[in-house]
Amino acid sequence: MIIMEVLQAFRNCLLSRHDVARGWKSQGRRVIGWTCTYTPEEVIYAADALPVMVFGDLSGMKFADAYLPSNSCSFARSCFNAALRGDYDYLDGFVESNSCDNRGKIFDMWAHYTKIPNIYFINTPHTNTEKAHQFFYEEVVKFKEWLQTTLNISISDQSLRKAIEVYNTNRLLLKKVYDLRMKHPPLISGTEALEISLSSTVTPKEEHNKLLNRLLNEISNRSDTPRQGVRLLVTGSVMDNTELIKIIEEVGGNVVADDWCTGSRYFWNLVDLGSEPLRAIASRYLDKIPSSFMYHHEERFKHVVEIAKRYDVEAAIVFVLKFCDTHMFDAPLLRDELKALGLPVLYLEWEHSMSGIAGLKTRIEAFLEMVGGVK
Amino acid sequence: MSQRGLQSTRGFHRNYIKKYYEDAHKAKAEKKPLAWVTSTFPIETLLAMDIVPIWPENYASVCAARQASVELCERAEREGFSRDLCSYSRCVLGSMFGGEKDLPEGGLPKPDFLVTTTCACDTHLKWFQVASRLYKAPLFLLDVPYNISGADSLNLEKAHVDFYVSQSEELFSFLEEQTGTRLDNKRLREVVALSNQTSQLWMEIQDYRRTIPCPMDARDAFSAVFFMLCIPGTHVALEFYTILRDEIRERVKNKVGVVENEKYRLIWDNLPLWFNLKIFEYLNSLGAVVVAETFSHVWAGSLDPSKPLESLARKYLVNFANSSVKRKIDMILNLAKDFNVNGIILPTNWGCRMMSIGETLVRDIVYKKLGISSLIIDVDSSDWRNYNEAQIKDRFETFFETLTRKQ
Repeated sequence: MIIMEVLQAFRNCLLSRHDVARGWKSQGRRVIGWTCTYTPEEVIYAADALPVMVFGDLSGMKFADAYLPSNSCSFARSCFNAALRGDYDYLDGFVESNSCDNRGKIFDMWAHYTKIPNIYFINTPHTNTEKAHQFFYEEVVKFKEWLQTTLNISISDQSLRKAIEVYNTNRLLLKKVYDLRMKHPPLISGTEALEISLSSTVTPKEEHNKLLNRLLNEISNRSDTPRQGVRLLVTGSVMDNTELIKIIEEVGGNVVADDWCTGSRYFWNLVDLGSEPLRAIASRYLDKIPSSFMYHHEERFKHVVEIAKRYDVEAAIVFVLKFCDTHMFDAPLLRDELKALGLPVLYLEWEHSMSGIAGLKTRIEAFLEMVGGVK
Repeated sequence: MSQRGLQSTRGFHRNYIKKYYEDAHKAKAEKKPLAWVTSTFPIETLLAMDIVPIWPENYASVCAARQASVELCERAEREGFSRDLCSYSRCVLGSMFGGEKDLPEGGLPKPDFLVTTTCACDTHLKWFQVASRLYKAPLFLLDVPYNISGADSLNLEKAHVDFYVSQSEELFSFLEEQTGTRLDNKRLREVVALSNQTSQLWMEIQDYRRTIPCPMDARDAFSAVFFMLCIPGTHVALEFYTILRDEIRERVKNKVGVVENEKYRLIWDNLPLWFNLKIFEYLNSLGAVVVAETFSHVWAGSLDPSKPLESLARKYLVNFANSSVKRKIDMILNLAKDFNVNGIILPTNWGCRMMSIGETLVRDIVYKKLGISSLIIDVDSSDWRNYNEAQIKDRFETFFETLTRKQ
């Protein structure tokens, strides 16, 4: 069936992401890694380089543990572990961003202990005032100049406009895919939705757009839609793997809405093409649905409440990644906001490793039983 | 001759810290404008506008020293704040949730407004967002770029200094709105000049600790640094540091040290164990003395009263909390050479990313460049639930054995 093939294609984008990147390199092109969704990817794309999000994995931290303390963000540790193991040796550069206390210091660790050349840091403001906009615009200009020097390439306004167009198309298509989850039962599962949004962060965007169009054309013919289950909203910082969502869906949940930086927050806002391209790009990132490190963090709470209604959810799970300070502070507040909507809320701390998530299954199952019982 | 504690710091808590909180409660009762503030915020701007600054981080350390912090942390944890968060923030949030009767120093007076900055950490912003919500008090954020190159105050990126200084407009209009009074620029210059004097005096005191035997230990330094953080730019700070400097100078003249036969001269990074300051006496008993704390030296920096905001920007932007690890490494390398150091203690802080990440890099580079060994100990400044004294003492003793073998 075509639809299964398309869904498998997204999964493959994730599974073979290192091969895709190496393939891109074998054509004489460059690959730039990034790790925070405040990185203005369009500028990398306009430099004819492939921007790829750096993920960790759940297999353990044996390389990172020698250098990073166990009280540092387990996602960041896991990414660093992958870099030390050599998974990302193909990168021509790596971009960090000032979006949490882990990142600034981990920048030094990448620069000193990994083999990756050209480590760059973007200073992301924590406000979106007029002055912050001007500061960040200048940061994006500097980033463009760094890319031009590092890759020995010139980035034209035209290529920036093209990048914006391709990226905006991707965002609009991803939103349409997410709309499929408004149906009862949803037309795609939460695991599939996450595979689709995550694969966008590592796949050349034009190819990803083609896949998204194919999916949207074929989806109405889908016969094996996910079964009806408890309609869930999941929220948290970053989610770079599908294991947790699989666990939820195995025990009878339908994850129909998410608030990950690699999920809805990744594509919800478009670049407004009205102004000069770099200024438009900078504004998009500063004004998007904020991550928890921003001064106007309560706008994220509004987004979560809005999607809870839009996708007609029955319960929510607030995930807190260990040592992710900014989210650990937000989580109790967000939990209260969701409870105020009358939703049952499960609050789960998780560690970025397989053993860290296996133990969560019982708690999720008990929660879903409780919610199902209430229904 | 050896003499551990200093005369001038005797009764420090009673004479200065207790009084700081009593004055704060009194100011609150008199309806003076009162602001909560975090470290690395240019506190001089508040003092210049006669705003009473309350510094919750100090309060947490006081609670820890009084063995009260864990119970307060637990109160915050019951409200859903993770045990992995900064213990200062948990302790203070906990003090906000419970009844005020049993709190050390009568608890913290409620703020009329809060001011913070991203300079030291994002935790400051997040913690104050929660406090601002709970107290329904407005919050101002001074948004600070991260000094990624590790530049010193003269070589900072111009864009960073400009962005910092440009926000003074918003800051003062916020403060004016909150207090109903206008900023007097002359007064600001006076406070900055006074703060500069305080800081010079503090550094003079630190410089005396190069002497063998070292005249001042970490326990005294971690008390006395209070003025640098909470009320720099005041006459009381200047008077205290003058007395302290005179006493230290006298000790140096008479060759009086903390430890008679110094075997190990140490640098202590990050924070002390506020709940167990006696650990420094234990170190003394092994012939070790802490001759420099990065925490004491990080507040150095001269201020130019004719350019108050720019010099405050330059002072705070280079704080190692806001800078590449390179900056801390440079500081430690210099201290190690200037202070005749033979060992470095790197305590991490469980709830603090920026004090914990990068310590391996400090250890590796300092060893490579100077051949001086470091000891990393995983602790928390104010939450002792995972603290194992026997284990920590064991690590110190093993570390000292290694140092002895090297000598």
